[in-house]
Formats: sequence, C-alpha cells, structure tokens
Amino acid sequence: MLDNTATTSTKSKMSARDVKVFYGEKQAIKGVSIDIDMDNVVAFIGPSGCGKSTFLRTLNRMNDTIPIARVEGDITLDGENIYSSSMDVVQLRARVGMVFQKPNPFPKSIYDNVAYGPRIHGLAPNKAELDQIVENSLVRAGLWNEVKDRLQDSGTALSGGQQQRLCIARAIAVDPEVILMDEPCSALDPIATAKIEELIHELRGRYAIVIVTHNMQQAARVSQKTAFFHLGTMVEYGDTSDIFTNPREERTRDYITGRYG
Amino acid sequence: MSASNPPAATASRKTDWMGDAMQRRIARRYAAERRFKFFGLAAVAISSLFLAFLLVVMVGNGAKGFITTEATLTVDLPAATGSISPDQLTGPRLSATMASIDVRRIFDQAVQAQYGKDGARYFATTAWTALRDQLIDNPNLVMGKTRFWLPTSSDIDRAAKDRSTPEAEADYAVLTQKGDVRQSFNMQFLTGSDGTDPARVGIWGALKGSLITMVVTLFLAFPVGVLAAVYLEEYAPKNRFTDLIEVSINNLAAVPSIIFGLLGLAVFLQFLSMPRSAALVGGLTLALMTMPVIVIAARNAIKAVPPSIREAAMGVGASPVQVVFHHVLPLAIPGIMTGTIIGMARALGETAPLLMIGMRAFTTTPPDGLTDPATVLPVQIFLWSDEVNRGFVEKTSAAIIVLLVFLLSMNAIAVYLRNRFETRW
Repeated sequence: MLDNTATTSTKSKMSARDVKVFYGEKQAIKGVSIDIDMDNVVAFIGPSGCGKSTFLRTLNRMNDTIPIARVEGDITLDGENIYSSSMDVVQLRARVGMVFQKPNPFPKSIYDNVAYGPRIHGLAPNKAELDQIVENSLVRAGLWNEVKDRLQDSGTALSGGQQQRLCIARAIAVDPEVILMDEPCSALDPIATAKIEELIHELRGRYAIVIVTHNMQQAARVSQKTAFFHLGTMVEYGDTSDIFTNPREERTRDYITGRYG
Repeated sequence: MSASNPPAATASRKTDWMGDAMQRRIARRYAAERRFKFFGLAAVAISSLFLAFLLVVMVGNGAKGFITTEATLTVDLPAATGSISPDQLTGPRLSATMASIDVRRIFDQAVQAQYGKDGARYFATTAWTALRDQLIDNPNLVMGKTRFWLPTSSDIDRAAKDRSTPEAEADYAVLTQKGDVRQSFNMQFLTGSDGTDPARVGIWGALKGSLITMVVTLFLAFPVGVLAAVYLEEYAPKNRFTDLIEVSINNLAAVPSIIFGLLGLAVFLQFLSMPRSAALVGGLTLALMTMPVIVIAARNAIKAVPPSIREAAMGVGASPVQVVFHHVLPLAIPGIMTGTIIGMARALGETAPLLMIGMRAFTTTPPDGLTDPATVLPVQIFLWSDEVNRGFVEKTSAAIIVLLVFLLSMNAIAVYLRNRFETRW
C-alpha cells in the first residue's frame, strides 16, 4: 500500500498519513495515505460505499458533525495537522472549501449567497470591496454574465447547473486554498456538467482541487491524478492517464472496465 | 388458484385486465374513494356547523351587551349647588369644586322631581356615577340646566331589548311614550372595569389584564422556549440525560393547567412572596404552561431545516452559532411561530391556573402595572357567568365576543408575521 504514495513531493498542499475513520464500531476507512498538490486536480473514484466521500469529508473535518465518527491518523494542511487542538475548525473550513453533491444555495439572494462567507470572516472592509469579491467570484465561477442583472433574485430560483456554479462561487469567495467537490455533477444534466468541468479546468492551479465522482469519463476528463477506492482502502493512486490505460492493480482494472461497481 | 405451484401459474396466465373480477375491484376502489371523500366532507361540514352555531349564538346574545338603554334626566345644577363661578372651574381649583358637589344627592332630587317618589326604579343603582363622570368630562355643565342621558335599571334595559317583568314593561312603555328613553352604544362597556351593577360594568380592566399577562408570558416563554429548543437540537449530546429532559418536556406539555396554577401558587406566591392577583404572577404561571408547547414546536421546526443548508454554511466556515442564527432559525421561524400561536392562544383562554393565584379578585380599576391586582378575560367571563343579576347574562356573552376578537387579532398578527418571515424556496 505504501508504494501508492510514492508521488509525495515537497510542494504537496495537503497530505494524509494512515487515516482511519470509524463510525462507532464500523471502520469505514482503513488506513489511507495520499498527497494533494496545487497543480493537479485529484479525482476519487470507486464503487458506492467505498469510503471516498467519507475520506473527502475528513479533509475539512465535516465528519466532526457526526457524533459517532472518529478519525485516526494525520492529515496536514501546509504541514499543520488539521486535527490538532491548535487548528480552528471554522477557519479550516474556510481554507478548505466544499461543494456538495446536491446544489445547496442558501434561500437568500444570489449576492448574499456569495457575500455570506466574506461577511462572516470579515474579508471585505466595505461595501465596494464586498461587491468586488462577489463579482470576481461569480466571474471565476462562470456565472457572472448570466446573473449580473439579477443579483438580488433568490439563489434557489436558478437552474440546477447555475445553482451548483453559485455554490462554487460561494466556496471561492472566501479565497480557499483547497476545494473539495463531492460528486458535484451527479444532479446535473450533461450541458451543466460540461460547464462545471470546464470551470474545474479553469480553477486548476489557483486552488488544490479534489473531486469525488461516480463517472469515470468525468474523472478522466477533469483530473490529472486519480485515486481508486474500494472497501475503505485506497487501492491505487497515480496519474489519471496511467490509472485508466495501465492500472497496476487487478481491482482497478476490473472497476474501470466495468466488471463490477 | 393453484397454491401448489404459483410461479408457474403466474407465468402461464396473462392478467385479465378487462375481466369481471378486475372490474369489480375497480368499482370497489372507486366506491372507497367516494366514501372517504364523503366522510371528509361530512367532518368539515359538522365542524363548520358548530362554528357557525357558536358565532351566531354568541353574536346574537353578546351584541346586546354592547347596547345600553338610557333615560333622560333633567338636572338644574345651579339650583342644586348654588352658584358656581366660572373661575372656580379653572386650573387647580377645579378638582376641589367638583369634590364639593354631592352628585348623589343632586341625582336623587332630580329623579324625584322628574319622575315622582318612586322614580329611582327607572335608573340603575349606579346611574349617579354616570352623571358624575359626565360632569367630570365636561365641568361647564355645572353652570346650567341640562338634559342628561343616564343608564336605566337592568329590568327596563331588558324590557327594551327583549322581555322583562310586567312592571318594567309598563314603565318602559311610559318612558317610550314620552320620548324619555333611547338605546345607544355602550362606551362604558369598552372603557370600564368590573362592578356590581351590570349597567355600569366594563371589559377594559380584564382586557388590559389579559394584555399585560400575555406580554409577560410571551417575553418569558418565547425566548426561553426557543433557546431550549436550539440547545437541545443543535448542541446537546444525545445521551440518557437529554432523553430524560425530552420526555419531561413532552410530559409537561400534557399536564393539566390547574396543576400549573398550584405550582405558581407554591413557587411565586408562597416561596418568592410575589403579590397576589398580579398580572406578573399570572404571566409567569402561564409561561410555565406555554413553554413546553413552544419547545416542542420549535424543535420540530428546527429538525425540519434541511441538513444541506447546515452543511453549506459550515462549508464556508460558519461557526455553530452562526449556522444557527443565520440559517437554521430564519428557516425555522414560521414553524416556531405556529407553535407559539397555539401556545399563546391556549394561555389566553386559560382560567383554572389563574384562579389558583388569586386573579379572580374583584378589581374595579384597570391594572396600571405588572404588580397591580388584575383579572383576565376568561376569568372575568367566569365571574360574570356566576352572577345572580340577570343583567350580567348579556355582559358575559359580550365579554366572550371581546375575548374571541382578541384571540383572532392575536392570531392574525402572528399569521401576518409568519408569512413575512416565510422564505421562498
């Protein structure tokens, strides 16, 4: 298993070492080690229930909200252990933003959706700067041209794809370092999906991006590195092109050729 | 049907959708639909009927309570009081002047002069206080001879509205013939307080008592109830202790209200030595009763907020308090309001616990503060319904109308607020 983490490099943004997650007695993640860097989009693939979403949610401590969940092992962000007592979990979640499976804009205006994060973290000293942050975030999320004339409309009135891009704009408005995406396109139609994928390409390099997906074509299209999860373990982690054309592990080959999962 | 080999049977037989058995099943299904629809309609009709009956009876009886019968009385004040100069009616000297007038004696003399020796039977026993009030409202009347309209006795009042004793009917006929009687809107009923004479009682004292009590209840039960609900839903660990608290709250909501009265009596009056009959104590007692209702409703409303909103807020780095106050509570507010309306409506109509803490006191002046002796609308209705004097019957119904109007306006405000806070999805 250890040789799967051979891609360790000095510039890794986040790294996990031997992470185990327990839900009560049940072990959901059985020792996963991985490095995530700024230059590559990392995709987690694997059959349902393999633990890829659970693992993703340990990276910004979203699992803390589940009382019975317990995490062992080290996860560091810029070398700092995110589970140490000196790490402020609220700040961590601002630095490691998240986009969820189902678009979940707040039932507020489009403007307030994007401005919410900067407001609570005090990132904009005045209205003009807040306006600028909102505009930049919406531009970067590829939504500005569609909504610039109706920023005060409710965010929930947008179409599904627009809502998901609004959620991405909301995540990047607080200027995070890492963005975690938990199956961001599973509720969207192909055109909206294509837009999100295009967006991921554009955001690459500026943020470290981790995306969980069920769709292997999507993983192949958007990611540079892919990790294959199965039954709570990370079976294989490597360059996306290698994983899809020349997997080292039998189980990876079986999965991507559609033999199970 | 061959029970021995069902798979083979179903495999070989095609379902006969047009067959008789199937048609009968369809007919039965439609019949069941129609039956259900009929029962539902019947239930709605029955409850509407009861509501209409209640309203018609109440309004029919109570409307008369808002009408008063008055007879004329000509009073020559300068003759009775000696001459009072205009400057005696100005500034600080006014109250001394008014106090020097013996209104009751003047009233008795005027009645005898106009209606003879037994003339007093035409008027309510406290009609002279109406004369006094009119003089206080308009002191210049002291300077001249004036024709006043004063409330009649309750027998004549009933003769005017419905039927009464033969003597009163005859008296009323005489008065009508001379044009000395009229019916008018009873302002006194809306501005006065409790009393012994039905012609002069009012609802304002009880209404104000109810208002103060409700304000105390709301300001205590709403924040405490909502905060308790938020803590239990969002912060409290799930263990045996919090389970116990949950069960206790649910049980508390089902405790008969008179028990809360005993609790208020023991805690607020005996132990904390708070004043008896006060709106403050009434409000506190009703708050104890309303709180569990609000807690339960608020917890359900908070539970109904989709977890995705919580996750979204946490995902951009909102702290738990920010998640609750920026996202969860705004979305839960309509549900919390609904629970609060139900709780407050129940508290407004509550009589039993307030009897326990002495709010059935006979209070002839409206309460001026939290600790003044007060009564509330339902208790006032209860007290009047117990009176011997027949004149109180219509006052009881009129008080019920006031209570219902109060209740409806309270609900209307709450519904309006709820709709304003409702978030469109």
